[in-house]
Amino acid sequence: MGTLSSVGRRRPAHFRNRWLRPALIVVVAVVLIAAPLGLPAFANQTLVRVGVYAVAVLGLNIVMGYTGQVNLGQIFFVGLGAYVTAYGVTQGWNILLVFLAACAIAGLVGLLVALAAARLGGLAIAMVTIALPIVGVPLAKRLSDVTGGSQGISASFSNAPDWSGLFTDQWQYYIVLLVTAAAFLLARQLMRGKYGRAFSVVRANEAVAMSMGISPYRTKVLAFTIASIFGGASGFLYLAAVQYTSPETLSFGHSISLVAAMVIGGGGSILGSLIGGAYYVFVPQWTNTIDPNFTTVSQGVILLAVLFLLPEGLVSLPRVVRRLTRRATARPALKNPPQSTPAQPPTMEAAPEGLETTERHDRS
Amino acid sequence: MNVRRRTRGALGVVAMASVLALSLAGCRGGTASSGSSTSPGITDTSITLGITTPLSGATAGPGTCTVAGVQAYFGAANAAGGVKFGDGKTRKVQIKTYDDAYDPQKSLANFQQMVSDGVFAETAGLGTPTNRAFRDAAISQKVPQVLVMTGDPLFSDQKQSPWQVGFVPIYQNEGEAFGKLLAASNAPHKVAILSQNDDYGKGYVSGFKDAIKGASNISVVGEQTYEATDTSVDAQLTQLAATGADVFFNAMSITPLVISSLQKAQQIGWKPSWFLPSNTSSPTAILAPGGASAFPGIYSVSFAKAPQSPDFAKDPDVVKFLSDLKQYGNYPDMPAFPHCMWSYMVGATLEQAFQNMKEPTRDSFMTALRSVKDFQAPLMLKGTSVNTTVDGQPAVSSVLVQKYNGKGYTTVQNFG
Repeated sequence: MGTLSSVGRRRPAHFRNRWLRPALIVVVAVVLIAAPLGLPAFANQTLVRVGVYAVAVLGLNIVMGYTGQVNLGQIFFVGLGAYVTAYGVTQGWNILLVFLAACAIAGLVGLLVALAAARLGGLAIAMVTIALPIVGVPLAKRLSDVTGGSQGISASFSNAPDWSGLFTDQWQYYIVLLVTAAAFLLARQLMRGKYGRAFSVVRANEAVAMSMGISPYRTKVLAFTIASIFGGASGFLYLAAVQYTSPETLSFGHSISLVAAMVIGGGGSILGSLIGGAYYVFVPQWTNTIDPNFTTVSQGVILLAVLFLLPEGLVSLPRVVRRLTRRATARPALKNPPQSTPAQPPTMEAAPEGLETTERHDRS
Repeated sequence: MNVRRRTRGALGVVAMASVLALSLAGCRGGTASSGSSTSPGITDTSITLGITTPLSGATAGPGTCTVAGVQAYFGAANAAGGVKFGDGKTRKVQIKTYDDAYDPQKSLANFQQMVSDGVFAETAGLGTPTNRAFRDAAISQKVPQVLVMTGDPLFSDQKQSPWQVGFVPIYQNEGEAFGKLLAASNAPHKVAILSQNDDYGKGYVSGFKDAIKGASNISVVGEQTYEATDTSVDAQLTQLAATGADVFFNAMSITPLVISSLQKAQQIGWKPSWFLPSNTSSPTAILAPGGASAFPGIYSVSFAKAPQSPDFAKDPDVVKFLSDLKQYGNYPDMPAFPHCMWSYMVGATLEQAFQNMKEPTRDSFMTALRSVKDFQAPLMLKGTSVNTTVDGQPAVSSVLVQKYNGKGYTTVQNFG
């Protein structure tokens, strides 16, 4: 106990900065690992679903939030991953192989679609991605030998084995935690490295990207493929959580809900994807308890409220709160401060015309 | 010195977290053990039922009806003092409703929430994928998922689905009823078949074909399918019309397609007798806009009295049903979907089971529910009944063939 209270005591700045972060990571990790043992089953089941959709939203965030390409077909890859998983499990494949297949097949289909779609650019990509779930649903119904038709297919591999001594909800939680944590770490590293930078340059200005030697086409294909792989992983988790999939899984409406969840959580943010996944799961659950007859209405109200109050998503909430409190505390202290310089440095967006004209000038 | 303090800080955090983890781990044991012999969701004065069904989205109309009917039935029963159970106690029936928007993932979530809310049994939910999504979970947790609104035969298979009972007739039952009527007519008939290319369409067609097997007077002259996502079946209709069939068996589940095919057949001058499934044969919503009076006969099947029909306007069942629906079901209009009547019958069937269950447990409830025999639920047509004792059949497997009379339907004994 003494050691813990000593952490709170004032320390030299370098100590706190260097130790706070790893300590925080350890605490978060321990809490994540220990949580399911203490939580009631329903809380675990809810967290499992959050993980499923957080991975799907994360993939969407990579292609939409970071690279700026509209993708309305993410649910297709989730469904594809789920079907591959269901098929593999019913065929008795090794579960690791099933997972790899779910990711690889979704990634491969994503790559093929992207190779064609990324050439189109702009809104045409969005149109192609809309087509995916629209084609996917009848396809899933038609290929009934593999997919079980419109009645769907059940496959359970995520029941807790006897040796573990765990309940099924806890076992599922650990499966989902493992994959979700790996996905988030992977995405974080990816977005911090050269690919992340390439994605954001392509999003900001394709001409600039080209001038830096980055091919916008290849970058878009890469982002799209990564998103599809994440979608496939999410589909694997979907089957771990739900143990059943049907053509309803990949219906177009859910794709729009995923986009909404991404925007709500925060586009172009890793943490925002997690919040988006939580939004996707919690809000319907919550609106159900308010009044099950008005779930769509209350979801719409929440969506609008968040968008108006926090246009950058829920992930920007601490920033906004900090800004507001700073303003509130700063005002009484300063009485008409003479201001000669802008309070904040101008952002990049402040001068898009400049870039545009130079580029046009260069070309002519 | 500095190093030691650092390690101590980090170690402390880990130690604290571990203590937290261990103390949390202790909690679960307490919640998991339940010592009493009573199942969750039932007390000496009340029983709680859950319904997960689409209350938003494209299937919200029928979904809302599945809730309204059950609420109407038990609202009236509660107002009359409650339901007398087989163990001698009188209980009020509470209904908890959950919206799944026809999304399987949400229906599973709703089921998990029901378990945590302490619901005794799930009932009356609409939809094949949504019911299938939590079927395995219901079996493994031994929670009854009974009298559900799906034509999927899996829910009526007692071996595979020990905690499930389907309510509405399976697709085969409907096709079979019409096939039998046609075969019994003794007159030669040429039949054209159009069906949706999924388990729905296939179920109807297999039931129909089983019934006409061996009937020499019936010949199938043309067979076409369409996809549930198709927006037009004009090509199929033209081909079927060319066969010169005088009976058209149309296993179609999509309302606008049924209307447009009724119109198209008139345009091309093909006027056979029609068979339509029970869920796409509404007199007001489909037959009137489709101009169905132009055909010699439109046949469908039913087991519920239609409140819209003038024949049943003064029927005591219908009068009570409509007033209950308005007062307790929060549904002031004339029911637009048969699911309102069906779920009212679900309420009555559940009451039968409640009256016969000897102990306040789920096991006893399932035993009681599986022994309801020849029960004439309110609103049921004469000649149909609830029978849960036959393996492989839903609670209601008997349907009557009816013929459109320009306003509603009348039961017919013979074809033609």
